[in-house]
Amino acid sequence: MTPTRPRSAPGGPRLGELAKNIRKDLTVEFRNRYALSVALAFAAVATIAASIALAGTVPAPRVQSALLWIVVFFAAMNGLAHAFVREEEQGTALFLRLHATPHTVLTAKLVFNIALLAAIETVAIPLFVVFLQLEVRALHSFVAIAAVGCLCLACAVTVLGAMVARAGGRGALFTVIAFPVVIPALWVLIGATARSLERPGPFDSGSVLFLLAFSGAMAGVSYLLFEHIWEE
Amino acid sequence: MRNTDSAIAAHDVSARFGRVALFEGLTLTVAPGESLAIVGPNGSGKSTLLEILAGLRRPTAGRVLFTAGGDDDARTDRSRIGFMGPRVEPYPDLTGMENLLFAARGGSSRERAAALMERFALRPHRDKLTRHYSSGMRQRLKLAIALVNDPPALFLDEPGAMLDEAGRALLRAEIDARRAERIIVMATNDADEAALCSRRTALG
Repeated sequence: MTPTRPRSAPGGPRLGELAKNIRKDLTVEFRNRYALSVALAFAAVATIAASIALAGTVPAPRVQSALLWIVVFFAAMNGLAHAFVREEEQGTALFLRLHATPHTVLTAKLVFNIALLAAIETVAIPLFVVFLQLEVRALHSFVAIAAVGCLCLACAVTVLGAMVARAGGRGALFTVIAFPVVIPALWVLIGATARSLERPGPFDSGSVLFLLAFSGAMAGVSYLLFEHIWEE
Repeated sequence: MRNTDSAIAAHDVSARFGRVALFEGLTLTVAPGESLAIVGPNGSGKSTLLEILAGLRRPTAGRVLFTAGGDDDARTDRSRIGFMGPRVEPYPDLTGMENLLFAARGGSSRERAAALMERFALRPHRDKLTRHYSSGMRQRLKLAIALVNDPPALFLDEPGAMLDEAGRALLRAEIDARRAERIIVMATNDADEAALCSRRTALG
């Protein structure tokens, strides 16, 4: 016999409910600043450590680009996982399941993770400019790639955070699981960012489109899977 | 909200953790105006059964139907249940009022939340983070959260735990006010709390 049970309201998130969830996530983060402070501290320490190791030499654009995305990715991992892990650790996951639809929860966490990545990039990029002499030659492409990079990484890993949290895991497990998933996106992000550092050129629409398509595919899979992950 | 068309029906429900069977073949119904106390020793599965009846956990076998608002295929939304239990914690980094507003749905939620804060004697603490609440205050807040949408079905897991005498009196008053029309299911070890319900199911 198939057990049936009350569900959250079917359908996608309603705007009011979504706004309430996003506000809740941002308020909680603003009050304890756990995810943001750890991520920003990691980004700053890793950038300064790289600068010291390079001893004043200016690395090639491809190396700068790879370092930038490695720092952003690993700085973000702890915070990105924390969005869901915190719900389980604090015992609020069931409270959230009772009072928000699964798709609203996922969308709110996705928005939170995009904001977290944007904050990390906002700090990491100026640090790279100062400590690693990052020089942007194709500004439009660089800004577009940085913006789509936030979206792409957040779409790829948000649902993984829920899986890790539901499995009782922690941040370290999250990084191990997330890395293979984001490799295609990181590969394109590093290449496109390197090109924007090497020379002025036309807008890199090919890379942006690939990253947008990757984000869309990952978001689609996340929305299909999330209700089962969240409710089971 | 009319509640006369709500009901919970459990058919042949079992719960197992590994090889350990908590209960097996349990069949029961709870209709509006009925209140059910689930009693039994620690570890007998009271909280598990409560969560299964509320639709928060799947039974190992069997079926639970929850009908509400004329919707009889269990596609009822969770705004139709109020659930209070030790596993449902409010956000420690939100204030009591913010937690209540987060749970509230529909119009005039601010007024309903404010009225509940007043009724549960939490008004002086409404802007305090719940991490700074005492256990008793948190328990009162949890009860207020369960009631904020005036749900047709109320599930309470050890609702009197941590409450002082005034808190227990409030709890009794809230249950009394709802017994005639709502479904109330309570898991408890407290004989006085169980006596508030019209029926009992004993586990273990």
